[in-house]
Amino acid sequence: MRLNPLTLRKLKRFREIRRGYFSFLILIGLLGLSAVSELIINDRALAVRYQGEWSFPTYGPVELGSVYGLEGTDGRRPVDYRRLKEHFDAAGTGDRVIMPLIPWGPYYNDAVGGILRAEAPNFERGHYLGTDTTGRDILARLVYGFRTAMLFALAFTALTYLIGVAIGCAMGYFGGLFDLLFQRVIEIWSNVPFLYMVIIIFSVIPATFSVGARIGILLAIMVLFSWTGLTYYMRTATYKEKSRDYAAAAQVLGAGTSRIIFRHILPNTVATMVTFVPFTVVGAITAITALDFLGFGLPPPTPSIGEMLKQGTANLTTAPWIVTSAFAALVVILLLVTFIGEAVREAFDPRQFTLYK
Amino acid sequence: MSMLSRPALLLPFMALLLVGCGSGDRDALDSGALEERRAQARAAMERHYATQPSLPPDLREAFERGDVTQDEIDAMAEAGELEPFFVFATPDDLPTDLVWEDGSDLPEFASPDAKKGGTWYTAVQDYPRTLRRVGPDANSSFRPFILDDVVMGFGQRHPEDISIVDGNFRYFPGIAEAWAEDKDNRTVYVRINPAARWSDGERITADDLMFMFYFFQSEWINEPWYNNFYSRNYVRAVRYDDLTFSVTVPEAKPNMLGRVLGLEPLPAHFFDDFGPDFIDRYQWRFVPTSGAYVVRDEDVRRGRTIALTRNPDWWAKDLPFWRYRFNYDRVHFSVVRDTAKRFESFRAGELDGFGLNLPDYYYDRLPDDDDLVARGLIGKYTFYNERPRPTYGFWINSSRPLLDNRDIREGIHYASNWERVLREYFRGDYTRMRTTADGYGEFTHPDLRAREFDVDKALEAFARAGFTERDNEGVLVNDRGQRLAFTLTTGYENLQDILTIMQREALQAGLLFRVEVLDGTAAWKKVQEKQHDIQFVAFNVGPEMFPRYWETYHSVNAYDRPFLPDGSPNPERRPKAQTNNLLLIANRELDALIERYRASESAEEMRELAFQMEEILHEDASFVPGFVMPFYRAAAWRWARWPDHFDVRISRDPLEYWLGWIEPGKREQVLAARRSRERFEPIIEVYDRHRPE
Repeated sequence: MRLNPLTLRKLKRFREIRRGYFSFLILIGLLGLSAVSELIINDRALAVRYQGEWSFPTYGPVELGSVYGLEGTDGRRPVDYRRLKEHFDAAGTGDRVIMPLIPWGPYYNDAVGGILRAEAPNFERGHYLGTDTTGRDILARLVYGFRTAMLFALAFTALTYLIGVAIGCAMGYFGGLFDLLFQRVIEIWSNVPFLYMVIIIFSVIPATFSVGARIGILLAIMVLFSWTGLTYYMRTATYKEKSRDYAAAAQVLGAGTSRIIFRHILPNTVATMVTFVPFTVVGAITAITALDFLGFGLPPPTPSIGEMLKQGTANLTTAPWIVTSAFAALVVILLLVTFIGEAVREAFDPRQFTLYK
Repeated sequence: MSMLSRPALLLPFMALLLVGCGSGDRDALDSGALEERRAQARAAMERHYATQPSLPPDLREAFERGDVTQDEIDAMAEAGELEPFFVFATPDDLPTDLVWEDGSDLPEFASPDAKKGGTWYTAVQDYPRTLRRVGPDANSSFRPFILDDVVMGFGQRHPEDISIVDGNFRYFPGIAEAWAEDKDNRTVYVRINPAARWSDGERITADDLMFMFYFFQSEWINEPWYNNFYSRNYVRAVRYDDLTFSVTVPEAKPNMLGRVLGLEPLPAHFFDDFGPDFIDRYQWRFVPTSGAYVVRDEDVRRGRTIALTRNPDWWAKDLPFWRYRFNYDRVHFSVVRDTAKRFESFRAGELDGFGLNLPDYYYDRLPDDDDLVARGLIGKYTFYNERPRPTYGFWINSSRPLLDNRDIREGIHYASNWERVLREYFRGDYTRMRTTADGYGEFTHPDLRAREFDVDKALEAFARAGFTERDNEGVLVNDRGQRLAFTLTTGYENLQDILTIMQREALQAGLLFRVEVLDGTAAWKKVQEKQHDIQFVAFNVGPEMFPRYWETYHSVNAYDRPFLPDGSPNPERRPKAQTNNLLLIANRELDALIERYRASESAEEMRELAFQMEEILHEDASFVPGFVMPFYRAAAWRWARWPDHFDVRISRDPLEYWLGWIEPGKREQVLAARRSRERFEPIIEVYDRHRPE
């Protein structure tokens, strides 16, 4: 792919802003790790050697105990790989279970000392950040909650940009009645209180919907109420570009509308729009966390940072590690994204590259 | 008392989101218009007194089943075929051979050491939406303070002596001075204490009793449950003179005495303009009470605070059984929605007491070595009580696809790991509920046990229903591709943890619970409209002698016309909304037993019937019994004092019988000690006189 030399210069400039660039690398690294979090932090085994055969249950279907020769009730219910490991180790027949680095899933209720309650960080048992009020590992819930939030935020950003840019650009380019009409529509639409809409709509979604479908609906609602903000910027940028000489020149040369928009105007507005991306991501993460905090987000027991914040504030004095972990994680993510955002803005700042006549 | 109040949805964990609205103050009417209203109200009342018929039980049941229409009943009443409900007689009509009793041999249960005075600061989760005691929104968590726990009945069940004498619990006098029971004629005669006064100074008379029946039978209160209860369970009210009346019940059931003595008269003079606009008109008007506490208009700061004030001229303040109680001069309620915040408020000394029923509060948030506890500033109390238990459990909607299969319901029983929740989450403090009616003494089935968690038995039961294969997530599927997945709804946000634990456990047996946590009002609405799959909810129950079955298990409360005339299920039947049959159970055999139970007058027979019904319900497997809390726990600041025995046997919480008081001057001393780091003897008390073995 050949990039515009201007863009290349912007990217180079971005790399030179070290704080933003490293934040970007760290965030990409975290995203990469969280994509394979099942291999790192999970209560399902990475690999099992049973009777000389290796199997890798991480991504496969739920296995019953009978697969590994467990008898009685244990043979008929899903395998608890930690207990299977103990069983194999005790039997000493050479069968082996290799657990992930942190052998806890986000749903596993671990009763330390026979009681389900918030346990402080316990390195011996592998709860590096402690457990929540029902004995679930906080690190595991953070990691899986982070993944959901990030995927959600990225999908949200992509969709809002798609709609916002398209409509904003059309408004700016066509102008006239279309512009006037859509401005009024947007003014009305953006006055609908979005959080209440989410709460109302979520209260009528039947519980039979799967978690995935619910996330999809949440995403759709949020996108539906968030694209409006972008149109203002896009509209102005398009207006500005449209009146430039090069746009007129293209028109005179006989270029069609779509060619002018996609080849000439859009690339020139990217600089403005791209600077908003990280802040849209921040906004999305904050919104989904807030919704979960209020109890209108993902259904229990789905792991989420908002739910952990809620639990943490309810147990502030007795289990400070819950709120500390969730809060720290949230701060780190938002900081990283904000640093990236600042760097992007600086790198794409047109004042450094453009000369006005 | 509470036997007559509606079986309330258990409220302690509910947060109602909407706060009081609507202004129902007495409209400013000029005196002429008001006079006219009063005349109309009086005329309506007199018309009701003159025409209200008394339906024999069999006719009433035929009416409920839909076999007899209202028009037919009206025609019968017109023709004079039905006895009147209201009778106005003269003192000479009173039978002369009555044996009057007054419960005076019973021991008092309050402490003579109690001192009057002080303010008790407490908090409610939601502001009361009305001061009415009936009608929309009246059944709230504030109602006990203006009705159940404060208002006097004619007599009250003795809360310590729970023996059954002559088929009745023991009663001590309230508004009544004496009573006489005529079992043969199913009638109780009551003589009102001549000193009895409403809080506005008016006398309490037999007219107030007659008015109460009129009021509760009236459609204007918008309360079908009351309408039914007060016409189904009583057949006649007779006024002999100002202070003497009798009430007749349709069946001489055990504890017939309680059915009448538990009635609470209403001030007829206050409702002198009672009419169709009752709901709005009386929204914020405090009803004059026979009890010790009143709500003054100036203490109602809507949405913020409300207070009870002790009536210094309360007529019963020196009456045996009522003296030494209701000691706080004021009870101040603020609204704090969040439990955790309420707790912090309590620790800060802004609230005087706090409930510690949940184990994490008792053990982790306020442990015995907590500074405030160890220094004796805050006391912790555990009181084992003995009363019917709220029915915490899974209510399975058996009209739903798949859930209509008994094998699946049985599998759900075996796949519900209450044992783990009780052991590891409730830390062994609570016990497993056994039947649908635990805590009724000899009326509770002696040896029925709830099914225990057992993966093998669950899998067997599911296999019988055709669920043998597991999908990739480990959930069972049948050969039609249906997944064994049900929505498990609750309105108890504080208890959602136990559902997520049980969800993981149920997956072992291939059952998926989709946990849905709604706010309390929405959850209750869902279950009232019978839209639930499985609901985790509980009915609160009063200290009655025997459990009720009709409301919760009779088929007329499950469907409209549940059966065809030939006895087969009506294929077009639809779930009936706004009833307590949450299981949608419609079983002819059970219906017959319930009807016999309702009509039975023998404790022996009722016990037998109750056991049979419990066995049928166990067999039907629609209700998964949850847990029973055999005690209540609370914390309070050191200035709060209680009698040596702390509370009475059947009490639910420390404010139910109002035995506590505030040590004068102690509040300042304790608060000063908190700053000066002074220490007192720690108070960690367990009162286990009534602890079951």
